Amino acid sequence: MKKFSNFYIGLILFLLFAPIAVMIFFSFNEGKSTAVFTGFSLKWYMELLKSSEMLNALKNSLILAIASSMIATVIGTMAAFGIHRMKNKYTRQSIMTVTNIPIMNPEIITGISLMFLFVFVGGLLGLTTKLNFWTMLIAHVTFCLPYVILNVLPKFKQMPNALPEAAMDLGCTPFQAFFKVQLPAIMPGVITGLIMSFTLSLDDFVISYFTSGTDFQTLPVLIYSMTKKSVKPTIYALSTIVFIIILILLLISNREKSSYERLEAKKAKAEKKRQEAIKNAKKAAAQKTKVKVTAPKAPKRHTVSPKLTKIIALVCTLAIIVTFCVVLNIASKETVTLNVYNWGEYISDGSDDSLDVNKAFEDYCKNTLGINAKVNYVTYTSNEDLYAKLSTEAVSYDVIIPSDYMIARLASEGLLQELNFDNIPNYELCIDDSFKGLYYDPDNKYSVPYTYGMVGVIYDANVVDEDDVGDWDLMWNEKYKGEILQFNNARDAFGTAFYKLGLDVNTTDTKMWDAGLAELQKQTPLLYKRVMDEVYNMMETGEASIAAYYAGDYLTMVENQADNIDLQFYYPENTNLFVDAMCIPSCAQNKELAEEYINFMLSEEAAIANAEYICYASPNKLVYESEVYKEDMGEDAFDILYPTDFDFADKYDANCYKDLDKKTKEYINSLWNRLTITS
Amino acid sequence: MKKKLIELKNICKAFDGEQVLSNVDLYINDHEFITLLGPSGCGKTTTLRIIGGFETPDEGELLFEGQKINDVPAYRRNVNTVFQRYALFPHLNVYDNIAFGLRVKKVKEQEISERVSEMLSLVNLKGFEKRNVSLLSGGQQQRVAIARALINQPEVLLLDEPLAALDLKLRKDMQVELKNIQTKTGITFIYVTHDQEEALSMSDTVVVMADGKIQQIGTPIDIYNEPINAFVADFIGESNILDGVMLSDYKVRFASHTFECLDKGFAQNEQVDVVVRPEDVDVVPVEKGMLSGIVTSVTFKGVHYEIIVDIGGFKWMIQTTDYVAPDALIGIYIEPDAIHVMKKSEYSNMFGDYSTFSDEIDHLSDVTEDEEE
Repeated sequence: MKKFSNFYIGLILFLLFAPIAVMIFFSFNEGKSTAVFTGFSLKWYMELLKSSEMLNALKNSLILAIASSMIATVIGTMAAFGIHRMKNKYTRQSIMTVTNIPIMNPEIITGISLMFLFVFVGGLLGLTTKLNFWTMLIAHVTFCLPYVILNVLPKFKQMPNALPEAAMDLGCTPFQAFFKVQLPAIMPGVITGLIMSFTLSLDDFVISYFTSGTDFQTLPVLIYSMTKKSVKPTIYALSTIVFIIILILLLISNREKSSYERLEAKKAKAEKKRQEAIKNAKKAAAQKTKVKVTAPKAPKRHTVSPKLTKIIALVCTLAIIVTFCVVLNIASKETVTLNVYNWGEYISDGSDDSLDVNKAFEDYCKNTLGINAKVNYVTYTSNEDLYAKLSTEAVSYDVIIPSDYMIARLASEGLLQELNFDNIPNYELCIDDSFKGLYYDPDNKYSVPYTYGMVGVIYDANVVDEDDVGDWDLMWNEKYKGEILQFNNARDAFGTAFYKLGLDVNTTDTKMWDAGLAELQKQTPLLYKRVMDEVYNMMETGEASIAAYYAGDYLTMVENQADNIDLQFYYPENTNLFVDAMCIPSCAQNKELAEEYINFMLSEEAAIANAEYICYASPNKLVYESEVYKEDMGEDAFDILYPTDFDFADKYDANCYKDLDKKTKEYINSLWNRLTITS
Repeated sequence: MKKKLIELKNICKAFDGEQVLSNVDLYINDHEFITLLGPSGCGKTTTLRIIGGFETPDEGELLFEGQKINDVPAYRRNVNTVFQRYALFPHLNVYDNIAFGLRVKKVKEQEISERVSEMLSLVNLKGFEKRNVSLLSGGQQQRVAIARALINQPEVLLLDEPLAALDLKLRKDMQVELKNIQTKTGITFIYVTHDQEEALSMSDTVVVMADGKIQQIGTPIDIYNEPINAFVADFIGESNILDGVMLSDYKVRFASHTFECLDKGFAQNEQVDVVVRPEDVDVVPVEKGMLSGIVTSVTFKGVHYEIIVDIGGFKWMIQTTDYVAPDALIGIYIEPDAIHVMKKSEYSNMFGDYSTFSDEIDHLSDVTEDEEE
């Protein structure tokens, strides 16, 4: 039985900690792959230190966690004090029930309702930016509060009522009595509450996601937006650091607790000894022999030492001061803040010895324009994310970089501003005519292209016959049954079928879509899996051998492929093309600086840095005509990114995904559900 | 002429509509050891808390050296309290607990150190400075609590059942010690207890309370020998309380017999309560007795036997040093000075004879009182 329970505990611990152990292990991996360990290195930690984006998010998270946990602890302790002193049992119980709602409530509901509240109140007050650091702080304090109350209230209950009375009896005002006597008595609960709030705030994603504004992005939100492309080992490094911080905090709070328990146990033991001594004394008295009884010495105290309490108090005070300064710094209006909202990992951020483009822009503003500008860079995961944020009308971004079909939708809904190209002289200079007048912005009013790309077929040359490659048929080839990966989203998956059949991907004819479905159903038994991000790992390790994906991402896979894999790439004749372009939304508050930013992004150094970092093709002449760039990327990679055998504008027009009408979208979704549920 | 230190005038207090104190009038002299005695729920602790400043009276005046202090908060009163459960500060050691009051008053550390060691020797706790208070025995905690209060040199020390949580032997020792401390320091002690023996042995003045009212104030001897009504007679010591008729001055009739007594001043044939203490009854042969009855039970108590005698259907308790056999027919003799006559009161007839014995019941009520407070 004992053996079994040990085994069981071992199993549970293993299941709990194996993922974390793996993550920590791979954070020291030299290579980029998240599957193959190529050697020990601290590379990703160094990288992390260089990435201003991640460090900034980490700093934000820490500021928010410290500020919100402190405020929640103070308010929560006061609340617990009030609840404890409530005489009416029913009022107390109902207050406790209300207090517990945020704990029981699904986070997403708390998040959404808080967002609505902020937007509503912000609207009443006539604010332009309704979501910002302060709303996030309020949200975090809100969900941390009940945990503080839950930890502190029992301590109040354990404390005899006579304690504060005794203090007042000895000359303390009620205020002094609270700080000198009650607070030390409830201190363990307060500390636990503080640490819990801190960790909860630090790792909260859902509520932060809904209540964050333009100026403040926390780590979990950033990490989430980075998962659009493959998860980088820097995230492992970061997660390892966060895990260790939280582990240390946990150890501290447990030490406090266990020292308290030790004390209790000792107390019980001392009491027992004393009772025995008394019994012996009685016995001795009964025998009428005079025995002097000495009470056994009480053990020395091992409780929360006043020293530790003082240290904690000192640390707390320091933290409050630091937080306050930083917050003031954020709130200071001396510098102009430019809010940029972009995809995760979609800008050169200083890692890997690259150029930190945002910082370069800040320097440029300072040195050339004489403006103290600060780029506030936050990220999203999908176009739909971006759309959701913009349509709340509670945020304010100055520059956004959506994809083509989303630009069309935003423009049609009046969510974009026309650009003043006088402020973007680089536009005429750098952007080729073939990237102008495209479907999403036919009059070149709203957008400046940032990147573009094409979907191609990636295959492992060690598995796939050279004769079979060249078109979409490879993905329907029965020879490679169980080796093929398909997109796990409707638009892209139907796209492959439509291109294969030579149909118009933007048709509204339901019959066409039915035909697409039939084609996909034919393919289903051949598939290994439908995937999105997992495609990287599966292709790099050889788990699957054929997949359709973006050219830029193929280059990343080649870099990380295992030794026995030989990934190759080709474009079928008809394939998807996309453009991501910089726009200024109508909520922008700083249009001129935003245009300055767009112009800067087109400048040679910044554009090359971005193109090299993102690995997608750049529509910027200064990039694709640069010898340095070509050399850095390598001849092969360059040829793949910039195929020369067709006219971009024509091909784009025929094959891009346009924003479909609602009815068609719903129809596609129903077909997609039928396909994925039955298979 | 003794100085009146504290005066309570017509104090009333109710909790949730329940009257806890009604019209309490009391004065306390300087240097006095006064005890508020009564069963649980009689209002004695509330009276103490009003003096300490933890409750405000609904009506009436509380005077301190002639000044009204109803609204003076606890921390500004020159009064300190020893709480029932000591209420020591668990996060501080013995030294810091005792020094607490002086530190609040910003006394210099040097002086604090001197006064704390003075206090420690007063309560016999030298060498305990660094101990954790929660690891001390009950008696030691008690001493720390007393030292912590006394170090502030209050004019009045309030003690709320300070010995209730100690075992019997320790309680006896502490009683002596407390009395010594009071004599040594000359501080006025206001002591709350439900233990009548404690009250009688320590106090200069005993205040017997019941149902939120003061029943009797007097020296322990007065209270014991001249209880004012049936409640006091029953609560303080053992008593045989009988219905009687005052025939005339110095003549009372009860138990179908007319006795001579020392009491006078009642109306002729006034219905009265008569108290005869068990130890004042002499057991004599039947033919010499004023009354006679059959012994129903005999209990050996060490110093004496406690016997229950059925006389005309009323069960008397008698303490005698001579052994009497159960079921024996005996006579009893009562001296005139052993008879105490009281006016009828609301408590008359509430306390019957000794047909049921109440040791166990007393004990149970002790426990419930502990739980409550």
